[in-house]
Amino acid sequence: MANRRHGVPDRKSENDMITCELHEPADLQEAAQYLRQYLDDSRLLAGGTDLLVDLKTARVEARHVISLHRITNLRTIENRGDLRIGALTTVAQLENSPRLTGAFTVLREAARQMASPQIRNSATVGGNIASAVPCADLPPVLGVLNASLTLWSPKGERQIPLTEFFSGPRATARREEEILTTIVVPQPPPRFGAAYARFSLRDGNSIAVASVAASLALDGHGAISACRLMLGAVAPIPKRAVQAEQSLAGLTLVHGINDAIALATQAAEPITDLRASADYRRALVGILTRRALTTAHQRAREATND
Amino acid sequence: MTELRTLIINGESHAVAIQSGETLLDVLRDKLRLTGTKKGCDGGDCGACTVLIDGTPMNACLQLASTLEGRRITTIEGLAAGGQLTPLQRAFIDQGAVQCGFCTSGMILSSTALLEANGQPSAEEIKHALSGNLCRCTGYAAILRAVEQCTGKCDDCHRDKHDAHSDATTNGHLRAQARANGRDLSSCTNVGQPVARIDAADKVTGRATYTADIALPNMVYGSILMSPIAHGLIKRIDTSRARSLPGVLAVITGADVPQNTYGVSPARYDEEVLARAKVRHVGDPVAAVAAVDEATAQKALTLIDVEYEELPAVFDALEAVKPGAPLVHDRYERNINTHVAHNFGDVEAAFATSHHVREEVFTGNFVYQCPMEPQAAIAYWEHDGRLVLYSSTQAPHYVQYMLAHVFHMPLGQIRVIRPCVGGGFGVKAATNPLEVCSAVLSRMTGRPVKIVFSRSDTFHYYRGRHKQHMRFKLGVDAEGRITAFKSEIHLDGGAYSSFGVATAYYAGSMIPTLYKIPNYRYDGLRVMTNKPACGAMRGHGVPQPRFAFECLLNMVAEDLNIDPIEIRRRNAMTPNTTTVNGLEIGSCEFLATIDGVERDSHWNAKYGKLPRGRGIGVASGGFVSGAGYCIYRGQVQAQHEKGPEKFQKKSIFPHANAVIRVSEDGMAAFLMIGAAEIGQGSDTILVQIAAEAMGIPHTRMRMRSEDSDISPLDLGSYSSRVTLMAGNAVAAAGESVLDRLRPFAADLLGCAPDEVRARDGMMYSANDTTNTVDWAEVARQFFNEHGPLVGTGCYKPPDGLGGDYKGATVGTSPAYSFGTCCCEVSVDLETGKVHVDRFTDYHDCGTAINPQQVHGQVEGAIVMGAGEAIMEDVQFDATGHLLNPNLHGYLIMTIKDAPEIFSGIVDSYEPRGPYGAKEIGEGATLPVMGAVAHAIKNATGVWIKDLPITPEKILAALKAREAPQQSPPAYKEAVGRPAS
Repeated sequence: MANRRHGVPDRKSENDMITCELHEPADLQEAAQYLRQYLDDSRLLAGGTDLLVDLKTARVEARHVISLHRITNLRTIENRGDLRIGALTTVAQLENSPRLTGAFTVLREAARQMASPQIRNSATVGGNIASAVPCADLPPVLGVLNASLTLWSPKGERQIPLTEFFSGPRATARREEEILTTIVVPQPPPRFGAAYARFSLRDGNSIAVASVAASLALDGHGAISACRLMLGAVAPIPKRAVQAEQSLAGLTLVHGINDAIALATQAAEPITDLRASADYRRALVGILTRRALTTAHQRAREATND
Repeated sequence: MTELRTLIINGESHAVAIQSGETLLDVLRDKLRLTGTKKGCDGGDCGACTVLIDGTPMNACLQLASTLEGRRITTIEGLAAGGQLTPLQRAFIDQGAVQCGFCTSGMILSSTALLEANGQPSAEEIKHALSGNLCRCTGYAAILRAVEQCTGKCDDCHRDKHDAHSDATTNGHLRAQARANGRDLSSCTNVGQPVARIDAADKVTGRATYTADIALPNMVYGSILMSPIAHGLIKRIDTSRARSLPGVLAVITGADVPQNTYGVSPARYDEEVLARAKVRHVGDPVAAVAAVDEATAQKALTLIDVEYEELPAVFDALEAVKPGAPLVHDRYERNINTHVAHNFGDVEAAFATSHHVREEVFTGNFVYQCPMEPQAAIAYWEHDGRLVLYSSTQAPHYVQYMLAHVFHMPLGQIRVIRPCVGGGFGVKAATNPLEVCSAVLSRMTGRPVKIVFSRSDTFHYYRGRHKQHMRFKLGVDAEGRITAFKSEIHLDGGAYSSFGVATAYYAGSMIPTLYKIPNYRYDGLRVMTNKPACGAMRGHGVPQPRFAFECLLNMVAEDLNIDPIEIRRRNAMTPNTTTVNGLEIGSCEFLATIDGVERDSHWNAKYGKLPRGRGIGVASGGFVSGAGYCIYRGQVQAQHEKGPEKFQKKSIFPHANAVIRVSEDGMAAFLMIGAAEIGQGSDTILVQIAAEAMGIPHTRMRMRSEDSDISPLDLGSYSSRVTLMAGNAVAAAGESVLDRLRPFAADLLGCAPDEVRARDGMMYSANDTTNTVDWAEVARQFFNEHGPLVGTGCYKPPDGLGGDYKGATVGTSPAYSFGTCCCEVSVDLETGKVHVDRFTDYHDCGTAINPQQVHGQVEGAIVMGAGEAIMEDVQFDATGHLLNPNLHGYLIMTIKDAPEIFSGIVDSYEPRGPYGAKEIGEGATLPVMGAVAHAIKNATGVWIKDLPITPEKILAALKAREAPQQSPPAYKEAVGRPAS
């Protein structure tokens, strides 16, 4: 059984029946009760596009599945300066939301490149974050937008910066009983731009081989006053390239970009897998960093002109 | 936990007992019997199970049914209210957007949702909306046209009707040739027309029934346990825990099954029904169970305890032939499954006097056919001991033959039913473990047993393309005319022979069919490794050598500064030529295909003139129109009933056989032939041919090709044989019907019987076309006098095909196809990412019986071939485990990746073909990879000789070129050389 994640056919894989008990709480309180009751032997089900595959292939084994589909108040996007995205908002909602304007449109761009239409119609923003898959597309983008996460439990809510949420592949700072309810993206400063550059092996229904999200804010002289860079699919977690960010502070992009690219590349900890070698992924990080920074810079300059 | 839930499906409420973990897909298919929703991967990758939930497309395999109470669920069965097709369903039929039909339900639902939200989508918006629906047959081109038809934007929609007038019927000398052959193409009313597929309406409505959709009364479910290790001895199997699981009806291991080995090539039946002492690859079948339901069968597999003693394994063909390498089978010394040594002329002498010689090493990839429908089988035994098998097969007769061999029973005692088949491309051409194990389990349980492969199973069974390691050497004179060609190939065959002996011969035999090669030497070794067995895939053995040859020819052209189009002209095959290896080329309009692509791709304005990062490339290819000889020797009878039979250079029995029965009122005709419709459209073109031969409209035809009790033997869908061979049998059957009617018509018309003509449902005298009588009336008169009106026809390939050397039969055919294509690409020079932008293809397929279907084959082959060239690759880890046995790791092109395609048909007439027709299905795939590689070279300046041409390899080659002193590209280039 141990080898099944590699598709070893010691028995069937994808066609496996899922044997579990399904719980359908009507609200967060009830969901928390189930979480407390079943602890390690349970999983929260949002869009199901990751979890059901994992249960079928036994990458995840849980006897209790707690579906959040009856909780309907977490499916909205509000833009009142800051952006509040309910965790059960689907990726398709994000892709098509007219509320995502200005710098937030980068979220629509990222959403549009994810998986397939059918998956986007089901998969949720919260699920894409909470699954903590290293190649997930939304965490890098939300990270450079300085998003924070609201984790709810019966004991109360806490806020955590998205960049501090991930602790390893499929591992997060979420405590037992906690449920990710809202993603809060603060209103960006003036002269701010963000971009997402992603590489995949095919154009439709693809998985990121490497991705870089960048954001930067410009001061009145066109120098970079703040920068965020996050790398996807090249480290155990969506990873900030902190030194690259810092290297750009106070510089114009043209002066700082080459060092930033070198530092971002150093920050990557890629692995070799069937999609690409570690070396190639590292090379991609450099290329994508240049592209993401250049586009973000262009957008920040255009924002200046507004 | 099972609860009663109410689901609203297609506007109707259904109270269903649903288990907690049950997906909507399983509930729809198994509990509600709404089988129009297909299971292609069960992992959210293929989109075949797309349904609308509150109007939004979602994968039914990733929805827990219990959570959907109160939601509005629409399946394919919910469209076409009151039996009226929706405009979109109509458009899919009109545009030829349906082939195997397995993706069609999902495609139509995704498109329906798009058009609901946006009545005027752009092409980009359509591609975006359909990017989660994989199709392996159509290349997406016709699907895009179908959706565009509904927006009124399709410029190209009537192209096929235009083509119908541009092929053979308009060409003077070909028309004369056709007349000389007794068939006047200009008066055809069925042949040459873009007739809609006869099965399309069933496929756009979800009615079409595939094997996995069938539930027989009292049926139970089987499942097969596969080896988790690549090479090992089975020390002990304990099935007691599995047997004691409630609901388990039978558990079988190698000890419980017939001990006959089986396979494809009679000299090398080396597959066991279930492994007895040894497993040879990850995925080798070890045991099987039958249980009351699928979940129990799967659970039982986990309770079978197998103790293995692991053996050293070998995974690389070049390593496997070295002395001391682990032996996959004791019988194959140095793991050499077969060795081909062909030598025509004197290559070394010719090289010595050649103006230019170039030698290169190329490496192929493991490419899986990946039909959208996974294999499935259902078996049961009649009380009198007859075996009935439903199977998703492309060669029902060979399955029947192989079951007769395994179970030691006469062929006549075995009935094979082939329901709708969701694509094959070669993987369904050999008898598989599902077919044998379901029969064994059914005999033990006394009940029908159904076994369906999961997507992962299909990869572990494999039988995909061989990976070929090729060392090629080409000599030319100063004008670029080929003087000699030498080919050394190691074919990595995996753990069993399957089709591999033929593959090894094909890899060599087909090269001289395209260009005139005066001196030719081929050394091929098919090598066994501890990987799943390779088999026959579209273009059988030839695509990789053809890719390598076309690359080498283009390299030589560039070396000599000859235009790559021009070098093809100078070497092109001409009609009525015998090749250096003894193959008879008949009709050949190869030059016209070269001219066509040169003109329509605007080659001269583009080649060498595009900016860096954009490129154009050219390559050619062609294939047999049916293998000249049957896979087994001698008569139609089971192996154990045969005496020793010497090979004779002729067909012992007809390869294709047809019966036509006309209904008693004369208004319908039933065509019976065992030709296997697997999505390629053979049922439709055979009906067209039969109708043409009888002189009635094709709309009066019914096809019965699915049942061996009803339909006479046809060898099946492989080697691109159906149009020519089955077509000839059907034409003969139609003519025999007509001959029986002639005396009756002559009486009614007052003319001589040989003056009677029939066309489009009327009969008339050749001397007075105004004097007519209704065809059906004549048929009624016949019935009144003689009873059933039946005609029969059969087809044998010509005697004496092929030369007189070992292996001379492989590559023989009554006729050969030719084609050329130009590919245009854009390459991101920073990342190496390729987008295939455009293809221009011209093909010589003889007379197109159905131009729409010819284009469908070409478009599908181009997208499949382009994917093979740049992204498809089955990968293994160091212990022989597959890394990507699924559709998110194994990448086939989506609609967003697919190029724009122009497909053209050149005027051609093949005297040996029905109404002048030859093949298209496999030939269309052959030029593709070489053209892609050439276009990438043209765009980037680097040749990548190792398939697939991934961005990573391109980038490494670009870097190596910039800094030649640095280390070579990161990818490994195999440099093996077959030992002599």
